[in-house]
Amino acid sequence: MGLINRYIAEVGRHLPEKDRSDIEAEIRSMIEDVLEERGHTPASADESEIAETLEQLGDPKLLAYKYAPPKRYLIGPEWYEGYLKILQRILFTAVPVVAVVRFVLTLARDPLDIASALGEVAYSVFNVGTQILFWVTLVFALLERSDEKPDDLPKSSSRVWTIAQLPKMPRTRQISVAETVMNIAVLLFLLIWIALPFALDRFQGEPVAVPFLHPNLWNFWLPVFFIIMGLTLIHEVFKLKIGNWTPALTAANVILGVISIVYIAALVTTQDLVNPEFLARLDSSLGSSELREFVRWSIGISAAIIAGTYVWSMVDSIRLSKKLKQTS
Amino acid sequence: MENDELVQNMLLELRRGVLSIAVLSQLSKEEYGYSLLKALSDRGMEIDQSTLYPLLRRLESQGLLQSDWRIVDEARPRRYYVISPQGKAVLAKLKREWSAMAETMKQMLS
Repeated sequence: MGLINRYIAEVGRHLPEKDRSDIEAEIRSMIEDVLEERGHTPASADESEIAETLEQLGDPKLLAYKYAPPKRYLIGPEWYEGYLKILQRILFTAVPVVAVVRFVLTLARDPLDIASALGEVAYSVFNVGTQILFWVTLVFALLERSDEKPDDLPKSSSRVWTIAQLPKMPRTRQISVAETVMNIAVLLFLLIWIALPFALDRFQGEPVAVPFLHPNLWNFWLPVFFIIMGLTLIHEVFKLKIGNWTPALTAANVILGVISIVYIAALVTTQDLVNPEFLARLDSSLGSSELREFVRWSIGISAAIIAGTYVWSMVDSIRLSKKLKQTS
Repeated sequence: MENDELVQNMLLELRRGVLSIAVLSQLSKEEYGYSLLKALSDRGMEIDQSTLYPLLRRLESQGLLQSDWRIVDEARPRRYYVISPQGKAVLAKLKREWSAMAETMKQMLS
């Protein structure tokens, strides 16, 4: 039965999603008809007999193309779902962040001019949105083109396909590749965003801009932060590699989660996060200290949200690891 | 050798059109894919599974066939195909065209 499932999965991979399950059912039924004709049930037939039947059907990719003649896609059915998922993820994280940051920065320049602040927001949202759309689409269009094209396949059945060419069953993953890649990208971005002003400050002597974070944090809190982020990065790489919530991976996730929550809680309650010089600049450009309150609130709310995500991630990983134990 | 491949390709093209007519003609009573394959083969028309099944589906999407999953004689569920009213009309026209064409070719090649 394993071979049949693998064969059908391979055909399905090349079919448009809307017809997939229907055609897969039909192919399964057709394979069973042939086996029956040879005097077997699918359960009683041995590997070699199944292999022979499948080889008669030929290359699964070719079979799929006979069902659904391939069109020229910018991004074909094989990549489209992943493309949408990643695009949504990046758009929904980056665009709101950009909008809020742009809004606050413009207001900081001139707190009364809300109209031009909104204009700036619309402009930068459009800008960032188009950039993201373009780059993600480009990457996936290249991925699409890296695949073997139907035109490369021989038109007649002259090329012999053997069962040895059948790929392994795609393993089901609990941890999506898109999600881990996204996490790693966000982590790296965060590390660079924090470390870069500091590094520039150190090595160029002249500060380029007033750093947002309090300089005192570099004595203890930020080094600890980098250690935690480094561990998280390693953990993400293992998540990407292993793909399932194994006991070790889950334990590491829970430990990292607890450490992170404790760290964030301690940091927010005992430390001044924002550089006083930065706040002073903000005040002077505003002529009042209204934004201080706003900054304090956003830090508190962000900390609560981040802590919440950690709790959710821990609970979710424990739940999935239990599920993994049941199925294996 | 070169000619072989040429002939293969031309035969493939020739069969492509003929197969649709053959399939339509055998589906006045309903059949599932594999039984149709055998019916065609019994009448001397050999066809690959990997050609027949997609063809059935295409004819259905063109409205010439109808199909549904059914259990007959307590067997496994299978997709049964039968010619549609539109398919019958199309088949009648194709039959006339085919006879005329066959007659012309016969004279031409004799």
